[in-house]
Amino acid sequence: MIRALIGLYGWRYPRTLVYMLQSTEYQVRPYLAWVVRTKDFGQVMQRRQLVMTKAARLLIEGLYLAMAALIIVSLSLIYVGHWHGVIGAVPLGVIILLIYPYVLAYLAVVPLVLGRLLISRPRERKLIVQSEKIFAAHPAIKIAVAGSYGKTTMKELLATVLSEGKVVAATPANKNVAISHAYFARKLTGKEEMLVIEYGEGAPGDVAGFACTTHPDRAIITGIAPAHLDQYKTVEAAARDIFAVADYVKESEVYVNGDSPAVVNFIKPGYEVFTNQKCLGWQIKKVHVGLGGIKFQLEKGSKSLALESGLVGRHQLGFLGFVAALALELGLTPAEVRSGIAKTKPFEHRMQPYQLGGAWIVDDTYNGNLEGIRAGTALLQELSAKRKIYVSPGLVDQGMETESVHIEMGKLIAQATPDLVVLMQNSVTNFIQQGLKDGYFKGEVRIEPQPLEFYTNLGHFVAAGDLVVMQNDWTDNYA
Amino acid sequence: METVAVIFGGRSAEHDVSIVTALASIIKPLELTKKYRVEAVYIAKDGAWYWDEKLKDINLFTSGKIQNLLERTKPVAVEFSGGMRLIKSAGGLSGRKQVQEIDIVFPAMHGTYGEDGSLPGLLDMAGVAYVGCGVAASALAMDKVLAKQQAVANSIPVSKFVAFTKAEVQTDNTAAVSRVTSALKYPIFVKPAHLGSSIGISRVQNDTELRNALEVAAHYDEKVIVEEAVQNLIEVTLPIIGNDQPQAALLEQPLTKAEDFFDFETKYMQGGKKGKGKGSKGAQGYSQLPADLPPALYQAAEATGLAVYKAFGCSGIARVDMLIDSKTSEVYFNEMNPLPGGLYAHNWQRAGISSIELVEKLIAFAKERHAGRQALATTFSTNYLQQF
Repeated sequence: MIRALIGLYGWRYPRTLVYMLQSTEYQVRPYLAWVVRTKDFGQVMQRRQLVMTKAARLLIEGLYLAMAALIIVSLSLIYVGHWHGVIGAVPLGVIILLIYPYVLAYLAVVPLVLGRLLISRPRERKLIVQSEKIFAAHPAIKIAVAGSYGKTTMKELLATVLSEGKVVAATPANKNVAISHAYFARKLTGKEEMLVIEYGEGAPGDVAGFACTTHPDRAIITGIAPAHLDQYKTVEAAARDIFAVADYVKESEVYVNGDSPAVVNFIKPGYEVFTNQKCLGWQIKKVHVGLGGIKFQLEKGSKSLALESGLVGRHQLGFLGFVAALALELGLTPAEVRSGIAKTKPFEHRMQPYQLGGAWIVDDTYNGNLEGIRAGTALLQELSAKRKIYVSPGLVDQGMETESVHIEMGKLIAQATPDLVVLMQNSVTNFIQQGLKDGYFKGEVRIEPQPLEFYTNLGHFVAAGDLVVMQNDWTDNYA
Repeated sequence: METVAVIFGGRSAEHDVSIVTALASIIKPLELTKKYRVEAVYIAKDGAWYWDEKLKDINLFTSGKIQNLLERTKPVAVEFSGGMRLIKSAGGLSGRKQVQEIDIVFPAMHGTYGEDGSLPGLLDMAGVAYVGCGVAASALAMDKVLAKQQAVANSIPVSKFVAFTKAEVQTDNTAAVSRVTSALKYPIFVKPAHLGSSIGISRVQNDTELRNALEVAAHYDEKVIVEEAVQNLIEVTLPIIGNDQPQAALLEQPLTKAEDFFDFETKYMQGGKKGKGKGSKGAQGYSQLPADLPPALYQAAEATGLAVYKAFGCSGIARVDMLIDSKTSEVYFNEMNPLPGGLYAHNWQRAGISSIELVEKLIAFAKERHAGRQALATTFSTNYLQQF
């Protein structure tokens, strides 16, 4: 109680608010939702530190000034009420003194909203319009990558493999919204032969908007899963938005990941469907999956191509096979494709294996969707180990599907038969436990109330012979 | 929830090593189990006992702020009557006396007044469960002369040795030297009989060096042991846990040249940088884990280690150091360590036991032994007093 009051009325409170804004990427709604559900502001900053950017510094200074002003006003009211008999001034002063932290929390968004409306949005709109012209005039083959999951992986694979024989530019990291595309366009030289553009859907209409601006020649749909359901409400609505990109390219140049069950209702006869068994007329055979990577062979008639990738997990097969086949179709030689596939390595925090005290840890903490959970649990099931451990806090942004998604997740975990399941205690833990029960899970379940402590001390929990799959990680704004 | 008191520090040359063992290898994993209330009990270099939550923070010790804390904190009163209780005198806002009953003690003391059997003796008197070897095994292990004699009595091979008291060395150093040279061949190791962590140990090649080394060893200890070096040396160490059915971890081979045998600096201060070749960085610097030995020799060394553990009556945890002549494949018992630095958690981890599992097992062994002792009859009715 006392600690919570110190968190609310203490000197560090304005910094906490700015940290919350920064953690929610200055998005007003998630920030306010976080403010409303926070009981102890002193306990908010757990996972990261406040990064002192120019904007953060300005906001902190502004909030301290506002805090000082509110306190002065409230004390002045109390003073004039008490000493000069101004009616109602004392209670008003007391009320302001009591509620000023909440006033500050809401005041913090005012400059954001104003800045966004008056400065950012007009500037961004201008850049996006300019980028549309750059993309339209660019002679490169433009490949759009959309989907609820696997977009960044697919984009990186394409960039890595195609770069072996072509001049390729790809959108950086997970910068995948309109303004990121606009910045990307400004950096293009015009000499690129291929552009790989990731589409990060977030709300209905996003993908069509990206396609209008970037003028794709080919489109890849990496899969559909429950994601951003706070905006889309249903998986179908999200799928409709993602498949909107297909309206901007020829049907024969729409490539869909057939391993994603949710794509079925959206596939048109002219689309190219790739799976972990076949892609663009090639068969995927002689597969070997291990923590060191994947080995497989592409076969078509008398032709064959043996490939080896550092990526981990059978679910990567479809992507790897497809990228190799597409690269061949786009004119790369088999040697270039082999070399490109060999260069593909796990991306940071995405099915990234490493050793800790003799144990194998598969870090998939950037994974945030059910299909990723399916892939991770399948890997845990497939590999042998003396002791198997599964670690996850669950998924975020699952909207109305939160309960069903997490029950399904629990069943998937049970199916992988780990010896120990470590769940980070939060609002979805009970649903995962229900799924574990429904899946007749017989192993040990450990509920971890302090996730950061667990992750920091992982080395104390594991030993040689252990295989640990860690999927997703909730930042402070979700905890 | 049971309360575990981790006792560390102490009046020993290995005071600082004890702090690291307690904080990194015992307190942290014990707290992570969330099954125990863990109390940090620190014995300062002057022998005063302190009990404070802040003592769990390694930064307190590495920064030197421990001195400030000790200056403004009163030592804790410890009661050993029918169990163990920590009693903090009245103070603070509440003004209440703080009393904490201890269920299990986890000694993390290296060297004198701790690992040598003193602390187990005190805890036996109190009748409280504790982790690790009892009085007899600890005392035997901490006296290198008695340890060798115990091994010989159990037909476990040891390298040739001669023992001296401090007085013998100091009154007639020349006689001591001639006694050594008539019994042993150079190179020779001179060691204080009771110190661990390689403190005061010298490797000598001639009479002059031997004379100096004897004086150095006698400076640290009441008893000195002089041993003939094993030729074609492979040095190995084997951590073991358990009571009646001991379980060995992996045989570990420190990667040092014979002339660079572990001294305190190499072991703890330089991270084993004198080590050669590839290896894992453990509590004692670089080592090969598991030791790269032919299977038969590996098994022989493991069997020797387990035989020593049983012959000494060890319980809970210990580490047996052995010397191997690689040409003759003869395995010699060298030393026994009742509380391996850092519990040798790095080795157990590679052997498939995490540091959390390790401390949980050690607590279970402590409780098992304590329960066994509780079941023993310790009183016997006689009419002796009536007859007096």
